[in-house]
Amino acid sequence: MSGGVDSSVAAGLLIEQGHEVVGATLKLWGGVSDSGCCSVADVDDARRVAQTLGIDHHVFNYSEEFERHVVTPFVNGHLAGASPNPCIECNRHIKFELLFERALRLGFDAVATGHHAQVVSRDGSHYLVRGADDQKDQSYVLGYLREAQLAMLLLPIGHLKKSDVRDHAERLGLRTWDKPDSQDVCFIEASKGREVFLRQRATLTSATIVDALSGDELGISPAAELMTVGQRRGVLPGRDGEKRYVSRVDLVAKRVEVGRLDEILISSLDLDEASLTFSHTALGDGHTVLAQCSAHGRVQLATLRHDERWWLELHAPSRPVAAGQSVVLYSVDEPTIVEGAAIVSIS
Amino acid sequence: MTEQYYFDHAASAPRRDEVTEAMAPWQHGVVGNPSGSHRAARDARRAVEEARDVVADFVGAKPGGVIFTAGGTESCHLAIVGVTNHHRRTSAHSEIVISKIEHHAVADAAEMMARDYDDVSVRYVDVDADGVVDLDSLHELVNANTALVSVMAVNNETGIRQPLDGVNAIAKSVVTGGVTTHTDAVAAAPWLSLSTITATSDMISICAHKLGGPVNAGALVLRGDVVLDAVTPGGGQERGRRGGTVDVAAVVGLATALRVAKDELSEVTDRVLDYQYKLTAALSFLPGCAITAPSASRVPGTVHVTFEGLASDELLFLLDQEGVCASAAASCSSGAATQSHVLEAMGVSPERARGSVRFSMGAETTDRDVDALIGILSEVVYRLRADA
Repeated sequence: MSGGVDSSVAAGLLIEQGHEVVGATLKLWGGVSDSGCCSVADVDDARRVAQTLGIDHHVFNYSEEFERHVVTPFVNGHLAGASPNPCIECNRHIKFELLFERALRLGFDAVATGHHAQVVSRDGSHYLVRGADDQKDQSYVLGYLREAQLAMLLLPIGHLKKSDVRDHAERLGLRTWDKPDSQDVCFIEASKGREVFLRQRATLTSATIVDALSGDELGISPAAELMTVGQRRGVLPGRDGEKRYVSRVDLVAKRVEVGRLDEILISSLDLDEASLTFSHTALGDGHTVLAQCSAHGRVQLATLRHDERWWLELHAPSRPVAAGQSVVLYSVDEPTIVEGAAIVSIS
Repeated sequence: MTEQYYFDHAASAPRRDEVTEAMAPWQHGVVGNPSGSHRAARDARRAVEEARDVVADFVGAKPGGVIFTAGGTESCHLAIVGVTNHHRRTSAHSEIVISKIEHHAVADAAEMMARDYDDVSVRYVDVDADGVVDLDSLHELVNANTALVSVMAVNNETGIRQPLDGVNAIAKSVVTGGVTTHTDAVAAAPWLSLSTITATSDMISICAHKLGGPVNAGALVLRGDVVLDAVTPGGGQERGRRGGTVDVAAVVGLATALRVAKDELSEVTDRVLDYQYKLTAALSFLPGCAITAPSASRVPGTVHVTFEGLASDELLFLLDQEGVCASAAASCSSGAATQSHVLEAMGVSPERARGSVRFSMGAETTDRDVDALIGILSEVVYRLRADA
């Protein structure tokens, strides 16, 4: 229970379904925070919701593990020129690993969360399916879940529209019913942003932005670690007046190369083998999927390739995807079903 | 509903019936303002002054030195901030010397002063592996700029006693004229004679709810001629040292709790000491369980342990399911168990500290409670070990 409306209602609906429910809030971040599930105000909200629902509530401290598995890799990833998704790492390592293990040890049969996604059981197998609310679908950040985890996961609000979730919260008298959605990375203050956060922990690289085509210098990036391939924000147009996109970030040479969109498009994505996860059955070379590369990004057709490495052959040229991002694979036949996920590696 | 076994006296002790009864007349109808002059005010004032006598007697100080406060945290805060602010007026630099294992009431007050004023800094006295303040370390820190030395009488997490006489001897002898000393005696008050163990301390902080009294009731007791600046001067109550109307019910509750505790001290100590031996012996047989600083001198009520490879979150959850109320002693504002600064100062590894649990007992604890705890805890530990 993050202290937000979704997990509040998830708990309320489970109780109405007759489950014996205990609320748990994860204390993940010890530092300054203005959103997400870690501020004292959010814990207070979660506790008060649990009281209103008449269930026990516990706060579990995973701040050390969060630092180790989420924050440090986030910082190191940026310093290595990658852009890891901290929400995915938190789900993989904290919520659906450490919390699941703990739940089993403490004698629970299932773990429920307020994610907008669904678990569908079919022929004894469990499939992760997109949430009913297109705008809020969170199946992407749950893309690494496997059969064993899906089998003990309940997602009580995945079939609801967000507005219905709020209606339920109001009906149940939960104080979180009108609480705004959290949007950003929970350990980064929205007013300060990633750059301020990273500067507290590392020295960032100032780099020259160079037009790859003409060699013109287009400006200086004060924090090249924050430049992501494919990004246009912060990049001035070239001399020809056309928009430029980041095509390459070289932290050692302190150089960010930019190019026109047609020059930077890619036709394949390399996948990090260690991270490659299949939700249910292992997919092989030649299997076609719908690939999604960001939380609410559009899907694109791609064919999974496995030779000396794993990679995705994109059916149409695509904007580049930063190393460290995750690509979640959805079924072509049933486009709402997740088939697997992997981290994009540096090509 | 499962039966409840309460092992968190050090967090808050069960309210004594005597306390509830003594407070009752002051919690309904007309309760005069003790600062007033009419009959109702005089009645209230008498109750306050009788309570002051009891507190003074309990600590072994003069009634004039007793400042009633709203609890241990306020008492400690007043001592640290009040003395430091007074010191700042006559000194270019003020150093607050505290131990590394002080309660946040002391540490946060000292750190607040250092944060707010450039002429204030905090110095930390080391503790040894047994969690006992290192007097050599203290000796090195005290100097002409020291505004005060604050070392707790008993640590609230481990229950381990601190060498106050040594602390006070150093504070008084290293610098000409001596340095003012404060001791947070909140965890000591239920178990030790404060008139003996704090006899050489200048300021003593106590509170009521660790002895079965009400929360929001405490006192800072001054010996001799300690001078401090009020933190809340408004109204001039408590001889100008703590403004605000004195809560008659609260101070009556505090005095009653102290009186009852003092009357029962020897009986309770004998009994709870037996429980401590019994619990300690039983726990030492559990796999991976280590008694914290087993040879250090401690109060009878506290048994602090660490379980290797287990998380206190999980232990406490399962204990709670079986009706056992205990705590990890260190928790943050969210209520989550957190890394203990006390164990860190003692050099306990973070892995070991993750599995720390404090069981604390008091007058209400029975043999049956202890037996139940031993049974439940064994079951819980073996269950978690089996799953690990």
